[in-house]
Amino acid sequence: MKKLVYCILFLIVFCPPAAAGKTGDVEILLKEKIDKVLDLLRDKNLDKKQRNEGILEIVDPMFDFKLMAKLSLGKKHWPGLNKDEKNEYLELFVKRMKESYLEKMDLYTDEDMVYDEAKAVGKKVHMKTYLASRDNKLEMLYKFYRSGERWKVYDVEIEGVSIIQTYRSQFDGVLRDGTVADLIAKLKKPGEFSSVEVNN
Amino acid sequence: MGGTWPFRQVAFFMRIFQKSWLHILFAILFILLSSQNISAFVRENGTLIVEVALNSFPSEAVHIQDNVGDEDFFDNFEDEFGDPSENEPFDPLSGYNRVMTTFNDKFYFWLVKPVAKGYKFVVPEGGRLAVNRFFKNLLFPVRFINNSLQLKARAAGVELSRFCINSTVGILGLWDPAKDWLELEAYPEDFGQTLGHYGVGSGFHVVLPILGPSNLRDSISLIPDYFLEPVSLIEPDLDELAVKSYDKLNYTSLHIGEYESLKKDAVDLYPFLRDAYEQNRKKKVKE
Repeated sequence: MKKLVYCILFLIVFCPPAAAGKTGDVEILLKEKIDKVLDLLRDKNLDKKQRNEGILEIVDPMFDFKLMAKLSLGKKHWPGLNKDEKNEYLELFVKRMKESYLEKMDLYTDEDMVYDEAKAVGKKVHMKTYLASRDNKLEMLYKFYRSGERWKVYDVEIEGVSIIQTYRSQFDGVLRDGTVADLIAKLKKPGEFSSVEVNN
Repeated sequence: MGGTWPFRQVAFFMRIFQKSWLHILFAILFILLSSQNISAFVRENGTLIVEVALNSFPSEAVHIQDNVGDEDFFDNFEDEFGDPSENEPFDPLSGYNRVMTTFNDKFYFWLVKPVAKGYKFVVPEGGRLAVNRFFKNLLFPVRFINNSLQLKARAAGVELSRFCINSTVGILGLWDPAKDWLELEAYPEDFGQTLGHYGVGSGFHVVLPILGPSNLRDSISLIPDYFLEPVSLIEPDLDELAVKSYDKLNYTSLHIGEYESLKKDAVDLYPFLRDAYEQNRKKKVKE
């Protein structure tokens, strides 16, 4: 009798409650955000400025740009920056990420979005989406982690190319031969062809 | 484990209430309610550390004070990305590669892009897409053989069906009914992927003139793939080159703006393109 009770209690205590549907949460979140962005992109009445502001308002809470900035420097370099450098770097990096994101939106015409199931990878959740364009299919993998009550994106892989990974090795390269000031200068400099023409 | 305390608690309960099923039920309910918090705590313990560490990063950049928590916090992600200096690839040709990257960049902006834009202006998109599908269909032997070499029976089968359907119903591959009607999508595979599939490493990075980023394995693999490509049979060689250039030009006309946009993400163009290429190839080999 007692044994039975202990068995039951043991099971109750040590069996975690059924997985709290974290992959489900991520799926709902990402679909909702992307659908809203697509609505804005398809709305031809908006001018570009309104559109971009709208997009940022939607996606900003989902992307952890600051974490991305830190991860891009990594444990190796981030702690070595002083306070001012950290602030300046964060500001520049976040700005750059936002600009880059908005610019990718300019390439959007009327592709269809296909969502895959979200998968739990350790404590993180990965979700694949596909952008079916006129002549190919682009795989975009969003990587989420749990931040307090929310799920936030800390990296995006486009066709297997991780944004954070490419920044990490580039920044490491810059800092190996140069200083933090060099890195900040490079970040300040807009791309060589900053006035990109996109007229698809 | 922290398992001793609920047992004692139960014993305590039972002594008070004496043994009876109803009381046991109450005890279970009580433990059930409290245990959810406990197991949630146990499970989330790691996450909690992350969150504590995260919260130690003040939300406003202006208030950054110290690095408390950096260690724990980064460890959760560092494993995923690895140490950049250990990841530093063996790159004996980096000097040449940088020069060739600049050359290819200029070649694109000064020659390919203007021509592609002119071509795009003249030929409507529908036509260019059809031409693109036509050339893609012609690459069937490359995809079919490489899928077969990797024993990807399903993919090879789909490729064969696609070729048969698209070459006939799709009129020489100008249309793609296999995809549009039957949802049969192409499975692009090349010889570099076949070698990678059997464990051949990528070797050092090589930037090829005009063709762009590649590596030792993939460059060598261009040779077998060349012989699988029907367009390679065209004689004389100059005509073959003309047809292949036209294919590339047509393709470029459909993708103007993509390289430019990609390039803006680069802090340093050569390592950026190199890493992007290698990561992308790694993924393709894995599939």
